[in-house]
Amino acid sequence: MFSNALTENKRKHEKYEIFYFIFSLMLFTFSFFSYCTFFSLFFHFLSYSPYPICASREPSAMLRVRCTLRGGGGVLLCLHRTAQYRYPSGPERVLTRSLSRTPDSSRVALKLQTRLGVTLLVGVGLLGAWWWVEQEKQQRRQRQRVEQLRTVALGQGTFSLLDHTGHRRTKQDFLGRWVLLYFGFTHCPDICPDELDKLSTVVSALDRDPALPRLQPLFITVDPERDDVAALARYVRDFHPRLVGLTGTPEEVRHAGRDFRVYASAGPKDEDGDYMVDHSVLLYLVSPDGLFLDYYNRTKSPEQIADSIRNHIRNHVPL
Amino acid sequence: MAAPNSAQRKACWDARDQLWQCLDDNNDKIQSCQKFQGDFEANCPAQWVKYFTKRRDFLKYKDKMQREGFTPAEGPQVNS
Repeated sequence: MFSNALTENKRKHEKYEIFYFIFSLMLFTFSFFSYCTFFSLFFHFLSYSPYPICASREPSAMLRVRCTLRGGGGVLLCLHRTAQYRYPSGPERVLTRSLSRTPDSSRVALKLQTRLGVTLLVGVGLLGAWWWVEQEKQQRRQRQRVEQLRTVALGQGTFSLLDHTGHRRTKQDFLGRWVLLYFGFTHCPDICPDELDKLSTVVSALDRDPALPRLQPLFITVDPERDDVAALARYVRDFHPRLVGLTGTPEEVRHAGRDFRVYASAGPKDEDGDYMVDHSVLLYLVSPDGLFLDYYNRTKSPEQIADSIRNHIRNHVPL
Repeated sequence: MAAPNSAQRKACWDARDQLWQCLDDNNDKIQSCQKFQGDFEANCPAQWVKYFTKRRDFLKYKDKMQREGFTPAEGPQVNS
């Protein structure tokens, strides 16, 4: 099914994403170090040029090593070390000291501030750019997915069924509400109760946010022979209070199932007349326009489903 | 026959879990777990007993595949 193609693409993209992120991180750290060493070297050449011997490659070499070793926080350390350049011993010391104290220290202080400022700015700029590109990519991916689901065009038709209070309901009644729909049957051993529990958890989680519209959970039976109105009323009591169970004649139920391409196949009856109905296990999300937007299988956790629904609600553009 | 309600489902699942725990402890020897088997069959509809038995077999098979891998079936022999 197309879901495999979607997850394949996603995995490929995620792989590239990781490489891209690591690469930009390496680039960033490399520019950090080169910035650090370059400026410290430059500064040394500037201040030491009248004393070529003392100027010596030695301190700057030591500095370079220290810079590389100390890593990211090394910017400050480099700058600190350049401020404390090593004095040559002996009579020259007095000379260098008297000649190069105040202007150098103030220049060091200024350089420190500007260097720090520029580095931070560049760092923040890079991170911000990466984050923005990431957001764009996610939004584009979401739009592509909605487009794909739209071409599949599930849930285009109408249905007319009885709810668990005996009232007739059609698709029109649910327009204007976000609907989370599940097909199952009441004699289901474990899958349907688990999925309906998950559905209840998701709806309760989204109910806790007052800014979001209230979701309408629906349960449509794939076993109309046994699941009449009374059976459904007993069943939906155990789950979310807003859960509405829907049933009808076999023809009506088959029509609703066909709309969502639900697979349902009743198994052989045993001596009690009991049987299992094999069916596809999916939660369907339908928008207030009555269009199928997304589906969630058994591997999706309630948190993932709730996040996905929040995303859909946020990005929803009414027709 | 009405479908099991929430309490009945839970009783069935608990009986099933106890049976499976016993089978895990006794290396799948059904003789050692007759009591739990009896409990399980009393608490669950017949269809569910069959379903859960098959499910356990499937889960063990899946576990075995994941641990030991599998050799794909050989295709039709072609005379080269």
